[in-house]
Amino acid sequence: MWKESYRIGIELIDTQHQELFQRITDFLKVIKGQGKWEQKIDRVKETSSFMQSYVVKHFSDEEVYQKKINYPNCEGHHQLHEEFKAEVSKYAEKLVESGYNEDVAQEFAGKLMTWLIYHVAKEDQEIGKYVRLGEKTDER
Amino acid sequence: MKDEFANPFLQATKDVFRQMLGLEIERGETVLIENIIVGNEVNVMIGVVGELTGTVTYSFSKFTALEMVKSMAGMDINELDIFATSALGEVGNIVSGNAVRYLENANCHCDIVPPQIILSENKSISFTNPKSLLITVKTKIEDFTINIALKEKATIPA
Repeated sequence: MWKESYRIGIELIDTQHQELFQRITDFLKVIKGQGKWEQKIDRVKETSSFMQSYVVKHFSDEEVYQKKINYPNCEGHHQLHEEFKAEVSKYAEKLVESGYNEDVAQEFAGKLMTWLIYHVAKEDQEIGKYVRLGEKTDER
Repeated sequence: MKDEFANPFLQATKDVFRQMLGLEIERGETVLIENIIVGNEVNVMIGVVGELTGTVTYSFSKFTALEMVKSMAGMDINELDIFATSALGEVGNIVSGNAVRYLENANCHCDIVPPQIILSENKSISFTNPKSLLITVKTKIEDFTINIALKEKATIPA
């Protein structure tokens, strides 16, 4: 799932993004793979729980970094993170309420993959651009 | 039906497809159609409310739709299942969300409602609609269409 074009050029953030992409890839392999759904539920629970905690950690690290570099759109980006977290929590609840229903898990996987790609390929690229612009200015 | 309503949706499609799918798009021919919305095998329909009301429908062949999901997932996806349609709906949602922000910048205030995915076995799906713009979008995979059926909210004279 990870593509080099998603790299923003900040090691800490890129490493965490790769971890997120890897976890979603593993999740997709599980839910799209062979086998009975009942046998996959533990991995679905694990992914849902991982996403909820790791997304919080990653967003928090990213926001600390943004403040450190005086990123101008800290507040707007924080808002996007809050919305992302709320969507992940909403699906985590839906999964529990549905007894880890396969259709809900498939729907969640489709959305999670798309949200993450968009966030990294669009919104987070702006952080990389800002850093590179600063480096250019410093060189002058 | 004004052509200017089409530009924010085309620009947003161009931006999002480039960023998310690494896919360049180009505007093809635009035709004004009446009474129907011509669709395809996979149709992502987004409702628009506010100063403009109506629907915007992104219609793809099954092949193109699967190629888009494959590109995102980085794995073979051969079925338009809930996972694939959920991802496609979200792409439509993101494109339209961006388009609405472009409209907002032009002082036109609108919002979108969650997407509906309509799958059709053949390519002749149609929905009744008074007037819309059918725009062909060219890509290296295959062409797809965006059907823009929006009208301005009537203003009540003071």
